[in-house]
Amino acid sequence: MIEPTPADIRAYWQETLAALAQYPARPEIELLPLRSTAFATLLGVRLTSLGPYRLFGYLSIPTGAGPFPAIYYPPKYQSVLEIIPQGTANLQRSRYVTFALAGRGQRHADSPYAAMFPGLLTEGIDHAAAYVFRGIVADSVRGLEYLVTRPEVDSARVVVAGNDLALITAALTPGATRVVTTPTLFYKTAALAPKTQAYPLEEINDYVRTYPERAAAVRRTLAYCDLLGFAPRVTAATTLLMAGAPGSLLDGGALQPLVAALRGPVTVYESQQSLYKDGLYAERWMAAQCDIADVQSILPEHWRD
Amino acid sequence: MPNALAGNYQSTVRKPDDFDAFWDAVLRQASGVALEPEVIPDPLRTSEDVEVFQVFYTSIDQVRVAAWYCRPARRAERTPAIMVLPGYQMDPPIPKEWARKGYVALSVAPRGKLRSNRQFNPGYPNLLTHNIVDRHTYAYRGFYVDTWRGIDFLLSRPEVDPARLGVTGSSQGGGLTITTAAMRSEVRAAAAGAPYLCGFTDAIELTHTYPYEEITDYLRLHPERRAAVEETLAYFDGICFADRIACPIIVNIGLQDNVCPPETGYALYGRIGAADKRLYPYDGHGHDAGRARHSAVVDQFFARHLLGREVSQ
Repeated sequence: MIEPTPADIRAYWQETLAALAQYPARPEIELLPLRSTAFATLLGVRLTSLGPYRLFGYLSIPTGAGPFPAIYYPPKYQSVLEIIPQGTANLQRSRYVTFALAGRGQRHADSPYAAMFPGLLTEGIDHAAAYVFRGIVADSVRGLEYLVTRPEVDSARVVVAGNDLALITAALTPGATRVVTTPTLFYKTAALAPKTQAYPLEEINDYVRTYPERAAAVRRTLAYCDLLGFAPRVTAATTLLMAGAPGSLLDGGALQPLVAALRGPVTVYESQQSLYKDGLYAERWMAAQCDIADVQSILPEHWRD
Repeated sequence: MPNALAGNYQSTVRKPDDFDAFWDAVLRQASGVALEPEVIPDPLRTSEDVEVFQVFYTSIDQVRVAAWYCRPARRAERTPAIMVLPGYQMDPPIPKEWARKGYVALSVAPRGKLRSNRQFNPGYPNLLTHNIVDRHTYAYRGFYVDTWRGIDFLLSRPEVDPARLGVTGSSQGGGLTITTAAMRSEVRAAAAGAPYLCGFTDAIELTHTYPYEEITDYLRLHPERRAAVEETLAYFDGICFADRIACPIIVNIGLQDNVCPPETGYALYGRIGAADKRLYPYDGHGHDAGRARHSAVVDQFFARHLLGREVSQ
């Protein structure tokens, strides 16, 4: 069963953003010499988010005169915060400002709340106002808000790259000029979860099986987070939609309603079930969008021509 | 290095003369630690077909290690078991799919992972270089033992057939599969994907991606410690464990693997001592190492060696 987009979805998120706005970010910045190189400096950044809750992110600044294009990596669905995604050439940091944020519950942002994986997806899910992802979305928005204040960032070239949170963040706050999104958690979740036994969506199945009387409330909460409700608000110039492999739960066909709901141009890429082919496509797409001509030089060694 | 030449790569890894003595001493120390297993039903994760438990046991240095334990709701009195080992950054999964295939399954969270990080928590990044100048306190000394103790846990369970134990994982899980198969003769079949922790010192020259980049970062800041780092890593390199493996084993690698260079996969495979071994190199694949195609190979492999039946792909 698909819950319709709630009539008050805009109010729900406006209230969330208004609550977030009550807390200044109060950034604290610390140099991290161990991860700084000749081509990039790494900073640890602490920020306040909704709650109030103190977050942490890794901000990497290329050496040289900016401004530089930027990639914002919103919180992932895992406990670990990466500086840049595993397998990305470290030299990516020579050309882009990168900012990876830990949402509440992830490592470095796990005090006072330490998230469990699995477990986070259903934390507070039977009450929309208390759902943990309301706070995590606010965290992600706060991260992008902070990134675009950095003088090293070229505001015309800001990519937000991640799972559902990339699209949601780009919808809720200005600053993203390009979006790379891999829907994983919040696309027709209530309808699709029963069709899989794989985590993370299996968390929904576990929860509803254990608490069947809360199923309607779960559907209602998920409806506030559904990508279809955010897509019309994305103002980025263009979006790369990373779909699952053909025949999978979130393949290109399944995501067509989302494509239709997005305002700007959308490129749909269906996974070839190869982290090499999929990753290479995304790296080249981002480089092209950011006018980086020599992408070869910032690819992993085993991906170069 | 072009893919065609990756198989010709000559690893620089050398096994220390006292490698076996070092690990024998570690195992002796570990054997003095009582396992003290706890098995706690997890009704939230349990379904009609799979029973799920949270497990805790004690490992070397008295560190309490967590794991997920799944078993088919309908099973034989003695059921074959698979131990699933986690990647470097991943949170250990609940191995329900293995239980659905007819195995009892244990998914270990070695020290430092979520739920096993109360006493030891160097973090990510950092685990790879934690005490890297001293083999006696290097992070992976306890981390390896934690996974080997998982075999002790399985052997303690009355529903597990001790003659039919398998081990599998990918990336770090692949490396841990190698070390576990090498150190625990009870393992009857092993499937390692994209093995990490194999050819450390080769990998930092071949690739500049995390997690191996942690070592490069460390040596950039502390170049004077290179000899000590290399000395330590030789005791923990899967390539040095490989000649001890005697059980049937399969290894899959991606020829465009940007995390664990394929050159190290070939080097590892060449050193594996088992007579019954097979390498599956997947061209056009990165760190997935052809998982989408290879999972059926793994299923068939374990079905043959642990369930005693052939499964069509």
